[in-house]
Amino acid sequence: MAVNMAASGEDQRPRGSESSFSSHGHSSRLPNSPTLPWDKFSNWLHCICVVTFDLELGQAMELIYPGHIKLSEKEKMNICYLSFPDSNSGCMGDTQFCFRIRQSPGRKAPSHTDTQWERDAPVYLHRDHAHYYGYVYFRQVKDKSSRRGYFQKSLVLVTRLPFNNLFNFLTEIVAPEYFDNGEPCLEAACHDIDQWPSPQPGETLSLPMMGMVIQVRIPSKQDKLATTPVQVIHQQSTSPIPAPYVLPSLHEADIFKCLHPVLPHVQMLWELVLTTEPIIVMAPSPTVCSETVLALTSMISPLNFCSDFRPYFTIHDSEFKEYTTKTQAAPPVVLGVTNPFFAKTLQHWPHIIRIGEMGNIVSGGRQMLKTKKSSSLKTIDAKPGVYTTYKPFLNKDKNILKRLQKGIASRRPNEVQTAMLKRYLLELTQSFMIPLERYVTSLMPLQRNVSPWKQAPRLKPFEPEEFLKTVEHSGPQLTSGLRGDWEGLYRRFFRSSNFEGWLRARQQEVDDKLQALHLEALCDADLSLWIQGRPEVEVVDLVLKLREKMRFAASNKVCVKDEVLHRLTLHLDGIIRALPEDLRTILKSS
Amino acid sequence: MSMREIKLCLLGDSGVGKSSLVVRFVTDTFTANLESTIGASFMSKTLVVNDTSYKFQIWDTAGQEKYRGLAPMYYRGAAAAIVVYDITREGSFQTLKDWIRELKQYGADNIVLAIAGNKCDMEDLREVSTRMASDYAEENNAIFLETSAKTAHNVAQMFTLITQRLPSESLLPQGLTDSGSIQLQKRVSASASGKKSCCKQ
Repeated sequence: MAVNMAASGEDQRPRGSESSFSSHGHSSRLPNSPTLPWDKFSNWLHCICVVTFDLELGQAMELIYPGHIKLSEKEKMNICYLSFPDSNSGCMGDTQFCFRIRQSPGRKAPSHTDTQWERDAPVYLHRDHAHYYGYVYFRQVKDKSSRRGYFQKSLVLVTRLPFNNLFNFLTEIVAPEYFDNGEPCLEAACHDIDQWPSPQPGETLSLPMMGMVIQVRIPSKQDKLATTPVQVIHQQSTSPIPAPYVLPSLHEADIFKCLHPVLPHVQMLWELVLTTEPIIVMAPSPTVCSETVLALTSMISPLNFCSDFRPYFTIHDSEFKEYTTKTQAAPPVVLGVTNPFFAKTLQHWPHIIRIGEMGNIVSGGRQMLKTKKSSSLKTIDAKPGVYTTYKPFLNKDKNILKRLQKGIASRRPNEVQTAMLKRYLLELTQSFMIPLERYVTSLMPLQRNVSPWKQAPRLKPFEPEEFLKTVEHSGPQLTSGLRGDWEGLYRRFFRSSNFEGWLRARQQEVDDKLQALHLEALCDADLSLWIQGRPEVEVVDLVLKLREKMRFAASNKVCVKDEVLHRLTLHLDGIIRALPEDLRTILKSS
Repeated sequence: MSMREIKLCLLGDSGVGKSSLVVRFVTDTFTANLESTIGASFMSKTLVVNDTSYKFQIWDTAGQEKYRGLAPMYYRGAAAAIVVYDITREGSFQTLKDWIRELKQYGADNIVLAIAGNKCDMEDLREVSTRMASDYAEENNAIFLETSAKTAHNVAQMFTLITQRLPSESLLPQGLTDSGSIQLQKRVSASASGKKSCCKQ
């Protein structure tokens, strides 16, 4: 039935937004790729779930929308448990937070838009093929009509995309309407999303949503690495027209607000995150713990945090045993928890951040805290702070702290403080990464080594010791005033998955580039001359290799001009024509 | 040339031709028997009148009863509303009156109201007289036109008339400046635990 609708629906109906979005530079779909219902929806979300409290079953899945979406039993169970506050104390009213779960294996990822997306979008915004994010809006209010005496329900957006701000904002619009008006509201919301253009890096999109238009810019890899301007909001408020609602950022956390309680330790936290040390964030509410975990993992941007992180983790999580076992060292993950039970279970974790008093929710009243010495750990101290025996590799930068403190004293707006902190962390990350980038560049083969008669050259292997030799004279000290044991920090970084992920991405980029250069070299070479007088077996070998390379280029989004591929095809045809007929037939059919 | 963005919504009984009117206005086409709308459809179109370009953000709401409760989201903050009835169905005119009443009570103070008597190409089957509808529109200070999405009669005119009734920008009512966008701004920066819903008014 769905297919039927699409076939007849495409021309009949201007699928709403299509005409309106063209003005924002939305590249419309090719006419030969018909859009099926829910195709566009799945560019953004996997599904929307409603989780309720059933007196007999406990947390239960009430609804999955759209109805054809399948979740495994394990995924459903995780979504159910993670959609409700773990320790139920005090979460009256509405609570928003986010979680991340493992996808069950064997699920095929939709691939229709990914190729371009992954080439142009920053790596930390890529679709997560192993996890789902859940953006939760939980409501708990007194309800005399219910046997339990309470209305307790969550609306959850399930998606592979980490667009934290956009999806938080969406739940904020959709959930209250859903709680008031029921399923038709979900239908309307999903229908709106199914009209959205697919996310295009570098573009500002207008997204209609239940009577309002959300405007948001999708970041691109090409963006300058400055922090986003904060003025946008102020321009808006002077406009008298019900203009689109401008979302200042698709995904960026308000890191100043989140890290304010542990501000004196930001630099140490940066080191811990950079080297994927095991971190627990204990907070009184899922909102605070999930925001803090996301803020932590974003501290090393534009470097992608490659290890696992769970903004909100509970004892019911299917990875609970795996992550809390005491028989092995703590895993290199960042977990956000609220249940006081964890204070005991995870005592052995090397780094614990406590934000706010447990079981006592104070809104806004965050204070500055000191690091607790490890001795106090033994007594399950509930006081806020950073609990660790870690000794930072780098000396503390008192300057930035002073500047931020001054901002606090003069009540500087949060946005400005966040921009300042972000800029500082960005510069720190860049100072750390530039020597690595420079070293990788030196591993590039020379262009003259790209020969049509040889295999495409590859990036030379990364030798940590060789790299460390360069640090002495052209290390981070060139761009950062910070002193300390940079070498030690690099050594620790080399053992982390962040290093592995970064190196793999670099290798991929370089190899793709080399493949493209190699194809160009082949294209410019006089192959017909080369095959003269060669044994047939070598010619056939060449044909097979060329085909393989072209297939690879086509399927792996290697950036080759169409013209190059076209000319290679002609070359190939020429070579095949020169072969005896029996071979020709075989090659054609293969 | 100045440019204004206008949020506009269409309301009215199921099957009176709201979507058809919008499709006619936006793409100048007509298809009989469109599938019924889910929730609401969004489209936009820019119209130039007297050197001002008006970008209409059109929310074409579903007429089915089950979506009734969602309507406030669509007319909230709207600068104009077109309420549609079918001249061949008396019942649809009664529904129109309910909508006008609701808009006067809960819509923005200065909302421009327009009444469209659609399907005027089907004169043989007429059940609602032009006179009666036009009197009602006058009483309620609403624009009135009989339209046909099928023949395109009066469709573009309807939107042009609306642009002429819009208050000049400096005189926009408080109700419009208070639209969702600004309140939501505050909400986003509000402290995490103190969030309240502001979509409800």
